[in-house]
Parts: sequence; C-alpha cells; structure tokens
Amino acid sequence: MNGRDKGIEGQRDRVAEQRIPALDPSIPRSLDPLPAGTRTAIELSGLSFGYGEKLLFAGFNLDVASGDFLGIIGPNGAGKSTLLKLVAGLLKPSQGAVRIGKRDLHALARREVAREVGVVLQENPFAFDYSVRDVVMMGRNPYLRRFQSPGKRDRDAVNSALEFVDAAFLRDKRINSISAGERQRVVLARALAQEPGILMLDEATSHLDIAHQQLIARILSQLNRQGKTIVLLSHDLNLAALYCSRILLLDRGKAVACDVPERVITAELIRNVYGVDSIVTRHPQTGRPQVMLPGEQPAGSG
Amino acid sequence: MRRRIVPAWVGLVLLFLSASALSIAVGPGGITGAGMSSVMNLRLLRLALGVIAGGVLAVVGASLQGLLQNPLADPFTMGVASGAALGASLTLVLGRTAGTFAPVGGFAGALVTMLVVYALARVRGRVTVTGLVLAGVIMSFLFSSLVMLAMILGRRTLGEAIYMMMGHLGPVFTGRTMWLFVAVAVVSIAGCAWLFSMSRSLDIMSSGEEAAETLGVDTQQVTKTVFVISSVLVGMVVSFTGAISFVGLVVPHLVRMLFGPEHRRVLPGSFVAGAGILLLSDVLARNIVPGGLPLSIVTALVGVPFFVYLLRRRL
Repeated sequence: MNGRDKGIEGQRDRVAEQRIPALDPSIPRSLDPLPAGTRTAIELSGLSFGYGEKLLFAGFNLDVASGDFLGIIGPNGAGKSTLLKLVAGLLKPSQGAVRIGKRDLHALARREVAREVGVVLQENPFAFDYSVRDVVMMGRNPYLRRFQSPGKRDRDAVNSALEFVDAAFLRDKRINSISAGERQRVVLARALAQEPGILMLDEATSHLDIAHQQLIARILSQLNRQGKTIVLLSHDLNLAALYCSRILLLDRGKAVACDVPERVITAELIRNVYGVDSIVTRHPQTGRPQVMLPGEQPAGSG
Repeated sequence: MRRRIVPAWVGLVLLFLSASALSIAVGPGGITGAGMSSVMNLRLLRLALGVIAGGVLAVVGASLQGLLQNPLADPFTMGVASGAALGASLTLVLGRTAGTFAPVGGFAGALVTMLVVYALARVRGRVTVTGLVLAGVIMSFLFSSLVMLAMILGRRTLGEAIYMMMGHLGPVFTGRTMWLFVAVAVVSIAGCAWLFSMSRSLDIMSSGEEAAETLGVDTQQVTKTVFVISSVLVGMVVSFTGAISFVGLVVPHLVRMLFGPEHRRVLPGSFVAGAGILLLSDVLARNIVPGGLPLSIVTALVGVPFFVYLLRRRL
C-alpha cells in the first residue's frame, strides 16, 4: 500500500506480491504485464470485503491493463462473482478502493459507471416479455435523461450492437421466446449498447452449447482486438486458456496466480487449488494449455 | 404489436366513456324527476371517486408488478391497504364523528404501516424488493385480523367492517371531506405522473435488480420512491373507498395484452382502464342488489374468470 503513490513502480510491486505466495518455484515468473506507459482499466487496491463477519477478500490488489483479456477462474466460493460485483459497483468494499480508469468507483454515479463497465450475468430472467429491440435499448439508459426518448444515435448503437453479436434477425422477437444462446447474445448486445470500455461476463457461456460458447468467445476476442478490456469469469478452464491473454486463479479470496495461461493452467496449480489430478496438454494449433481429467481406472488395475 | 396501439387506445377510451355515462345515468333514482340535481351531484362525486380510485389502484398495481418483478403483485401486497382499513376502523370504533375522520384515520394507518413495512424490509441499510413483499404480506395478515378484532370489541356491525375491507364508492361527502377529496385527487394525479416518469427504470428493473444496477439504474432509489408513492396513493384511496381488490391485479395484465410490457404505455393505459372497469363494477354493484354490494365482490366475480383465462393462455 505504501507503493500507492509511486505510480507504475507501485503497481509492479503489488502485482509481484500477489504472485509469490502459492506459485510453484519451478515456474518462471512472467514479465511484468503492465509495462510503463500502459493504461490501467481496473485497479483494486487494499480491497477488503466479506458477507458476514469473516472477510472473503482482505487487502486484495489487482491491476487490469486497458485492452487486456483477463480470465478469472477458481473453485466455487473462490470469490469470482464477488470480485465482479465489487468492480461493477454492485457491492461496496468495507476497505480499499476500486478505480475504473483512475477514477474512484464510489465517487461515480451509477449512470457513469454504466458507461464505463458493461456486465453480462449468468442468469437473465425477464419478468415481462419485452421485444429484443427494447431489451437492447435498455443499454442506452445511462445516456438518456429521465424524459428523453431514444434518438437516432441510440437506435444506431442498438442496431450495430445487435449486428455485432449476429442477432439482428431477432430484433422483433420477444425475449422470452428465443433460445438460451440467442438470449445470451441479446444480453451481450445490451451491454455493448452501453458502449463501455470494460466488459465483464459472469459465467456467461456456461449454459450454452459449444457452438454458442465458441460464438460468444469469438465475439469477445474481436471486441478485445478493437481495444475493449474483457474480464471473463468461467469454470471452463479450456475456454479461458484458449481465449484469455491472462488468467487470474482465485482461491478463497486470494490470488494464487495471475499470469499468461501457460503459467496458470498447470497440473500443479490445479491440484493445489481444486484438489484434483489432471492432465495438462498443449492445444495442437495454438500451444495454449488444455486440461483433461484422468481416465477412471477399474479398481485394482493400477 | 406496434400497429395495435392506436385501436387499443380507442377501445380503452370508449370503455371509459361508456362506463362514465352508465355510472351517471343508471341508478335507483332514475335520471329524471324531483330532487334530480342533488342525485346528480351525488353521482358525479361517485364518478370522480371511481375514476381516481380505479386509476390509482391500477397504476400502482402495474408499477409494483414491474418493481417487484412479480406479475402477482397488487396494491395490497405492501400491506398498506389493510393498515388503512385498520386506521379507519379504529376511528369508527373510537370516535363519534366517524364520517369526517375515517379517511384521516385510514390515511394515518396507511402511513404507519408504510413505515413499519419499510423498517422491516431494511437490512444493513438496503431495502430489497423481496423484503418489501415479505414484510407487506405479513403485516397485511396482522392488520386484517386487527380490523375484525377492533370491530368486534367496538361492537360495530359486521356490515361496516365488510364495507371497510371490501370497498365501496359511496362515502358521504360533507363540506370538509369534500375538500379532503379534492386534495386526494390532486395528489393522486401527481403521484401517478411521478410513477409514469419512472417508466424506463421500471422496465429495466424487470430484468432483475443486479442487471438494472449495471445498466445505470439506482435501484435503491427507484425501490424506495415507488414504494413510498404507491403507499401514499393507496393509503389515500383506501381511506375513502375501503380495500377494493382485483382492479390493481388484473387491469395491468389486460393492458399489457393490448400494449406490450413497456411501462410508458402500461401506466397511462392502466389508469384509463382501471377507472373504466371500476365504474362498471360499481354500476353492477349498486344495481344488482337493493342497497348495493361491496365492490370487491363484483370485481372478484369479473376478475377471477378473466385472470384464470390469462393464466391458462400462458400455460
């Protein structure tokens, strides 16, 4: 925390601190992911938060560089969703600060946060049957005053968001009459209509078939290439390893590792954190790590 | 959906106008004869009260269904109506000049209930919609029993209690309550307009509180504002008319079938449809049986089959 005022130096120190505790010493430490001159999109410093008496996060630090594609993985209860809610301002930390592009989150109005951070949640129930167009238009809310009707600028944003996720044909359908995969794309389009610099997804692909998972992941990659900062929470280690440029491995509110996929998706760390043995291979085309569970041996054969 | 909006509006306005005409024309006194001007005055007042009560109940019902993301919510879910009934009953039991003070007692009861429900629903500084529903439903049960208790201990007739709990449009306006009613009408219109101004936030709340927050809606502020406005409006109306059921539950669904779910159409549509349907129910209630029926009997007889039809259409 004393490094707070030292700028990039301080950030380096904090990032380094996080990697030390549980990292296997045989794994080389990565280069600093935030070289001088990189803009920071999300900065958590000295963050503490707990749901009851017990703290889930105590003095948690994290920097996400602008333009990063960060995957957050970890067992159930590791604090992935809580971390997302803290960054989106849905939860308030008991201590520490969340900064979005150098601005303190809790000094910003909800509308201002919504222009910076778009969020796709896992479950998206709709109590009433709005049209897809109306749902995506909800993403323009942070730009509209109370009595202001959506204008051309807003309709354009809605249309291009729908086209970007390949869902323009759903425009006049009702949200409760389309498939789960289509609905998740529509909700993603709604987040894009917010025109945020940062996009965060909480298990947004876990209910979907592999075609839809791939489609969403490709859309995210494309957005990332256009400069958006993406934070993807996932239980799907292989999907995260394929698409993310960095992966944060969380365990009970601690950052076990935060590095390129090759250094985080390892049999060693998976055993330490998840408590399962696994086989980690390389993707034949990209060289990214891919995880398999060992085959079940018949009793006594081993 | 879009091209059906104009005909739907025409239909609603026609419903409202014909209900108003019937409400003035039909009644035990006929439409001509001696003493007609005082009969007409009474009927015009009844019309005004019906419009305000029906409109407010339907608009509040629609707003609460949106806020609570629950199609079964109605103006009485928050417990305010039974609090108002309790306040009015206590005034009847304790005071002599009941005609004048029952609305005041009712409104006081509504405000007290609102504060109690709010306090119960507030956990660690946040008011959640689930908390409001739970606290409201619980207080409703409590206050409904207390109404009966007050009526029995106060040796009032069961008839008075029934009208208090099941609604009517026939309160006697003396000079003083007349002004009170004018004030209530003005505040009701203002409150409905305020709810209308929150249409977009209510739309967004229907995809869940957390999602709404990420879309820039201050859900705490919306929840608190809608709760307070709804409670004040329902408290005022129920103090005059007693608890009229089903209008606030069924009318918003009818209007959504016509206009789709967007609140900027559903709220004004609900006001017009609610007023029209309540006036029609009142015409039936006071002409089927000599002396008139409590309104909720009619609204339930009409509302239940319609609601069953609605639910079955969804299955």
